Amino acid sequence: MINIDNVSYSYSKGGGVSNINLNIDDGEFIFMIGPTGSGKTTILRLIYMDLFPKAGTVSIDKYDSQTIKRRKIPYVRRKIGVIFQNYHLLEDRNLFENIALPLHVLGYDKDEIIDLVNESIDEIGLNGKESHYPYELSGGEQQRACVARALIKDPDIILADEPTGNLDPVASFELIKLFEEISKQGTSVLMASHNYNLIKGRGHRIVEMQNGSIRQ
Amino acid sequence: MNKLVFIFAEGFKNVWRHKSSAVSSIFSIYLTLVVSGSLLIVSQNTSKLIEYLRDKYKIEVFFKDGVTDKRVSELVNDFKLINGVRSITIISKNDAEKIFKSQFGDDILSLLGYNPLPISCVINLKNDWPAKLDIKPIISDIKKYREVDEVNHQGKLISRIENYYDKFLKVMVAVVSITFIIAIFIISNTVRLTIFSKKELIKSLQLIGATKWFIKGPFILEGIIHGVIASILAVYSLVALLRFSKYLIYDLTKFGILYDQILTVQVLLAISILVGFIGSNRAISRFLK
Repeated sequence: MINIDNVSYSYSKGGGVSNINLNIDDGEFIFMIGPTGSGKTTILRLIYMDLFPKAGTVSIDKYDSQTIKRRKIPYVRRKIGVIFQNYHLLEDRNLFENIALPLHVLGYDKDEIIDLVNESIDEIGLNGKESHYPYELSGGEQQRACVARALIKDPDIILADEPTGNLDPVASFELIKLFEEISKQGTSVLMASHNYNLIKGRGHRIVEMQNGSIRQ
Repeated sequence: MNKLVFIFAEGFKNVWRHKSSAVSSIFSIYLTLVVSGSLLIVSQNTSKLIEYLRDKYKIEVFFKDGVTDKRVSELVNDFKLINGVRSITIISKNDAEKIFKSQFGDDILSLLGYNPLPISCVINLKNDWPAKLDIKPIISDIKKYREVDEVNHQGKLISRIENYYDKFLKVMVAVVSITFIIAIFIISNTVRLTIFSKKELIKSLQLIGATKWFIKGPFILEGIIHGVIASILAVYSLVALLRFSKYLIYDLTKFGILYDQILTVQVLLAISILVGFIGSNRAISRFLK
């Protein structure tokens, strides 16, 4: 479904990735590990087309980075759910409004939004906290809210950039289990992390990054 | 439809959440509109004045002796085709005699035994010309006819009045343009403050897959709302000012101020929406680049 073909990207101040080849199939769960600065985030940004490769091609479904028009990028991003270490929840909106945001973008009507968001809040176990603002939620709760926000638009893939970076070990394992559930339901997951202990022995494909290249 | 509801709700929320910065933006558009509205009313009155003065413009054309009435009629029909001519009145030899008698009290026929007054015509010029009216081409077109003996006109007076009118139009366009540009910059900066405080929302919307216009919508709407509020305030201020000054000016000059209230409201509203749209679109487009 996602094909990264011989992709290179370099930042003006140095760093980046070179000659990356990676295929992600539907429902596949991939861990991308490597130290800070090894290029994990760059790969994620290349997939959600925040960056464009200087060489090679990133293909997502019928779109590819070489031929896509700027106005079509939002349609690629609708197929992708992105989760960050620092949550990126909107501080001036409560839990319900944060999770509902993608549905407004997609043009859902009010009743559908209420139903879907309540269902989603139920799934992540945050019932009763709909009207809570992000600062009233714990780190684990905020990250689960981010997962719900990423999942509510039913994406083809979840890109998670160090999602456990601010979580304690218990909350981190709960999040991994949640991703595994998502993956079993057919949504691919690409999770970047520098914490190898978190993922070892779970039977998923591991891609190791080092100095901007993949070490298989 | 649901997307529009969201955009409108966000736009109104933006205005409410950034009340204090909105005040400066609304005030700057308000000043632009008061200046533009005042100039519009002045220009409406100046147009009326210039129409009144142009009504007085006359070109008198005297024909040579021996030109027949029939030929004069043909020439007058030709003159009517000249650009800038509104109407023409033929003054026959008999009419000229009557005019002479009414002006000087003497009968020229009994004085001289014959009528020496030539056939002539009085040309009235168009009074609703949008810009400076130049009578030189009209005069030269008339003089091309060999049957024309003499052309009398108030050339210097007309050109002086028309030059003043021309200068007035240029100054008006310059003042409105300058205030317009200033208002766009101020709105742009105010909306930029809102954008700065909404950086996270914009980033989230981009990642979720919102289109450019979906992201821009609330900010553009915010600018337009500022504009509409300012236009309502400006209309009330101008109407109050006119009601107050109307009698004062009439007492001083006996000149009644004319203004088309509906046109003034429409023009101010259009300017405010345009200024709001351009200012806010400029700010958000630069941010999304």
